[in-house]
Amino acid sequence: MSALHPDQVTAERLAGLRPGAAGRDVDMGLGDGTLTEDPALESPLVLGDRSFDEVTDIVCGYAENPAPKWWLIAFGIASPIAGLGTLFILYMIITGVGTWGLNNQVDWAWDITNFVFWIGIGHAGTLISAILCLLKQKWRTAVNRSAEAMTIFAVICAGIFPGIHVGRVWFAWFLFPIPNYNWIWPNFRSPLLWDVFAVSTYATVSALFWYMGMIPDLATLRDRADARLRKGISKPFSLELPTGHFVVIDAITPDKIRAFVYGLLSLGWRASSRHWHRYEAAYLILAGISTPLVLSVHSIVSFDFATSVLPGWHTTIFPPYFVAGAIFGGFAMVLLLLIPLRQVMPNFKDLLTLRHLENMAKIILLTGMMVGFAYGMEFFIAWYGANEYEAFVFTNNRALPTWISDKGAPYWWAYWAMISCNVLSPQVFWFRKLRQNPLVIWIVALFVTIGMWFERFVIIVTSLHRAFLPGEWHMFFPTLTDIGIFVGSIGIFATLFLLFVKFLPTFAMAELKAVMPAADPHGHHGDHQTGHDPQHGIAGGADQKHQGTANAEGGH
Amino acid sequence: MIRIEKNYDGTVTPAPSPAKHGEGPVMTDDLYEKRLAALAANPALQGENVRLPESAGAGIRGGLAVVGVGCLALTALGAVVHSPTHALASFEVAVFTVLAICLGSLFFTMLFQAINAYWPVTFRRQLEQAAGLIWLPLLGMVAVVLIELFSSLFTGHGVLFQWLTEDPGYLLEKKSGYLNLGFLLVRFAIYAGIWLFLARSILSMSLEQDATGNRMLTRAIRRRASWGILAFALTVAFASFDFLMSLDFRFFSTMWGVYFFAGAAMSALAVTTITFSVLRLTGRLTGIVTDEHYHDLGKLLFAFGACFWAYIAFSQYFLIWYSNIPEETAYYVYRQEGGWQVLSMILVIGHFIIPFMILISRKVKRNVLLAAVMAAYLLIFQVLDLTWIIRPMAYVGVENPAGPGSWWIDVVASVGGLALFASFLMRALASAPLIPMKDPRLATTLEHKNYV
Amino acid sequence: MSIVQTVADYLPIVPKPRPKYVTENGKRVHGLIAEYDTPADVYHAAEKIRDAGYKKWDVHSPFPIHGIEEAMGVKRTILPYIVFKVGLGGAFGGWLLQYWITAVDYTGFTVQGKPYGAWEPFTMIIFELGVLHAAFAALIGMLMLNGLPRWNHPLFSSDRFLGTSQGKFMIGIEATDKSFDPEASRALLESTGGNDIEIIEDDD
Repeated sequence: MSALHPDQVTAERLAGLRPGAAGRDVDMGLGDGTLTEDPALESPLVLGDRSFDEVTDIVCGYAENPAPKWWLIAFGIASPIAGLGTLFILYMIITGVGTWGLNNQVDWAWDITNFVFWIGIGHAGTLISAILCLLKQKWRTAVNRSAEAMTIFAVICAGIFPGIHVGRVWFAWFLFPIPNYNWIWPNFRSPLLWDVFAVSTYATVSALFWYMGMIPDLATLRDRADARLRKGISKPFSLELPTGHFVVIDAITPDKIRAFVYGLLSLGWRASSRHWHRYEAAYLILAGISTPLVLSVHSIVSFDFATSVLPGWHTTIFPPYFVAGAIFGGFAMVLLLLIPLRQVMPNFKDLLTLRHLENMAKIILLTGMMVGFAYGMEFFIAWYGANEYEAFVFTNNRALPTWISDKGAPYWWAYWAMISCNVLSPQVFWFRKLRQNPLVIWIVALFVTIGMWFERFVIIVTSLHRAFLPGEWHMFFPTLTDIGIFVGSIGIFATLFLLFVKFLPTFAMAELKAVMPAADPHGHHGDHQTGHDPQHGIAGGADQKHQGTANAEGGH
Repeated sequence: MIRIEKNYDGTVTPAPSPAKHGEGPVMTDDLYEKRLAALAANPALQGENVRLPESAGAGIRGGLAVVGVGCLALTALGAVVHSPTHALASFEVAVFTVLAICLGSLFFTMLFQAINAYWPVTFRRQLEQAAGLIWLPLLGMVAVVLIELFSSLFTGHGVLFQWLTEDPGYLLEKKSGYLNLGFLLVRFAIYAGIWLFLARSILSMSLEQDATGNRMLTRAIRRRASWGILAFALTVAFASFDFLMSLDFRFFSTMWGVYFFAGAAMSALAVTTITFSVLRLTGRLTGIVTDEHYHDLGKLLFAFGACFWAYIAFSQYFLIWYSNIPEETAYYVYRQEGGWQVLSMILVIGHFIIPFMILISRKVKRNVLLAAVMAAYLLIFQVLDLTWIIRPMAYVGVENPAGPGSWWIDVVASVGGLALFASFLMRALASAPLIPMKDPRLATTLEHKNYV
Repeated sequence: MSIVQTVADYLPIVPKPRPKYVTENGKRVHGLIAEYDTPADVYHAAEKIRDAGYKKWDVHSPFPIHGIEEAMGVKRTILPYIVFKVGLGGAFGGWLLQYWITAVDYTGFTVQGKPYGAWEPFTMIIFELGVLHAAFAALIGMLMLNGLPRWNHPLFSSDRFLGTSQGKFMIGIEATDKSFDPEASRALLESTGGNDIEIIEDDD
């Protein structure tokens, strides 16, 4: 992993070739020392007694080492799907929106479902970075970078759908207030125009936030490449084949490319404390303005529906309910991505501990119940409001199964899939053993992701498919193009995420280092920072280290 | 040059290693005892700095109680000389202002415990104390319910609850499954039971920790708080439907519970800020509650007092305004005529724009006096907000709907409620240490700093 | 860093001020750097250098050391004020854009019977544009106040300096500082526990 590392023992430890702290490879479901129930202890955020250099080596290693086999396989699957999805999009643009299963009644279906689904996922990244930063949740440092990356890729996927849904995409510039010879301006009283501004602002600000957070880490990658070039220890390009052989191309020196590209992107960052001061201020400001931004974007998406008079769409709780749902779905996607990465990437478990996963599981439980609260409120008010159309949507278009009543909802399965995935499945996290088990968390996250897609489907299609006159009732059936574009968007997302994992710093290194105990210039409080206390009754007493800190603490 | 090599030394494969079993680490008791001893020796955590004498402010306390009772008596007088509906509405504003403070305090107590929050540990005791006073507004609610009960028994219709009538129309008949007196009493008993249980049990566990130093109580509170927040969300939402939204039984809004919660969270933070400012200005809590803690408290006040409230209020108003469905719009129409439009504009400007512009400043948040002034300002706006919700309902259905009318009744009722609450809060303040003295996270809290 | 120097960095035609110190290679001296082992060491060293009256010096660390601003005597940045003003400007611009288009230039297009100039539907875009401008102000303002981006910096000529973005801590004193003196400054760095003190040349 670390060609630069002067110390052979450390290099092997980092490579996992030598037992010790690096070999903290814990089985699924068992503790790694961070899962303390003792309120007196503060779990460590980085395990394995890592030094700053080791953290750098681990994180930079992901971007510097040749692509591992699992990455090549995953990329080999994801990128063709992305390509196929792009072909479907092209086909749809060339042929027309009629290639989708839309009909006169259901004129929004999978397209807008997918849009809201992806934009919702896109909220967790900025939320982790921004709100958790404001709330001083230090554990965010382990997940914020990948979550922010995920945000941007999800927003890219989201942007596809309304873009192509308007038909005649070459007129998409009509969406912006650009002076033109027809003297036509966009309608600022339309929720869809607010969407244009909200989503594009969100994409821009998220990208700025992500990029700004990466500047110091890109500088680290630049400096490492530079150092290897100066020492003359740069390796030529190599690619591992499935046979275990390597393709090596001598003409290409990746470090030269790295020094140039990372150098360009890191803007001459030189780790100066005067710069850090302004950088931290800017970061906090961006966190501060991103928080209302996250709220506003999904609220505005909810306005697309809630400003209408359509039963099932018009309800005042939509803005916070959509925001809670977005956080819910976004965290599920973060877990869905990070738990497998934790298994396949070396030393990942030292940086993303079980405590991190447990915290995220708790957020899933909390936001899941907020979503459940909103479902309940909607249902209650649909009855309490005594508006029979509203009540009809909730019972006869959504909840009542056709096998109970012949006036039931043909989409009852979608509604109950949503309820069981979003409200029931997270309830397993009430149990400590289950929310500490990465496999269980991953399965629940998968359910939640599916459930959140169904939520949008239920909101959009079940409200639309039956208008006020029974003569206008139509079912929606997706076509191959519908499915192809949706699956393709998953491929695009996965491809972009894999590229990110391979070429950019997967962890916010600088922030990780800043929350390590060794980063404290006043250097005490060792006993809060460690989870290595011997178990009471098993080890029979405090180890020397703690005895020492406790005494030191008594002294001041 | 492209070549193929075997065993190229670039990749890393993690080696499997033995798994570890166990419940997770625990600090040994003797080590924890040492930490507590170190905390007990901390010079800041001694004497009057953290504990008021029992008699502290006894005169003011008594005075406030007298003012409170007197003002509430004046409110009752208002019922006689002016209008019982108006007086009951003013009284409900007062009750709900205090209830909002107590519920918000209960929420933050549970939230901080549930998420293992570090920096607010020093604020938590006063939140617990304020939550523990929830019996006071509950008594007020009992009074409201009893007045409505007797009114409907003897006159056939409610005083303020318009759904209590002998002549229900189509709408009320459809809603009678929920809006009926028997079910209301059952629901009220459930709300009161849950709130009292959560608030009192968390307070008593926290006080017990002060005495025994048992850190596992923190864990017990955390567990209670986790399901407590769920119970809290449901009861607060339905209580706000029962006592506020159903005042106009035609109106409905799914956002309603969140709207009331936003005000409650803000009021609790405002009262906490005022309490701690008074303590700090009188020389208490030196070295314990610092400008750094105030900075963060101010951020919460900014977030809940200006931003979150505005977000929720705007979303509710905007969706109703835009969709323009008559049964919903009527709610805002009442408040845009007869003088209420002035209060509406005051709320928009005074509850959002002004506090936003002022509280965004770092200097204000870190200043003991300015923070308290802003907190008091926001508390007044909580009263105005509730007035805006409740009082127009006193005249709906009357032939020429009147405007604010004899507003002196509103003033005396709210002053009375808040004075009585302040009096009891001062007594609670002196009854226990001002901060959770043996909280396992206290040591970290004391060193809290904002680095940017 | 003086303005002349900053401009000279970006525009090579602008002559740099005459160097006060030159190395034996005939190159101008950028300054001295010293390495420290831990954040605590560099923190305490920073306090001493601040007290010695230096102005043009810096601490380089792979992450922001908490409280180092105080130890260095750095004033709070004015960035928040810049961002606030630009954000308000953006929000006002958002209102102006919508109001002018909807209520002034393009009236007669009634939507749902709402007044042309109603503020309610404008709120969303006012907010979004305010945030957008504030975000750009935060990033660009931070970079400009920091004198970034730049292609290169004399410090990068030191091989050991590259470690400051990984796990090393360094203090660099610039030769343009009024109190700078090659011997005295070196002695000061040594007395604060700095290791491997090195002179940095400016290649121009």
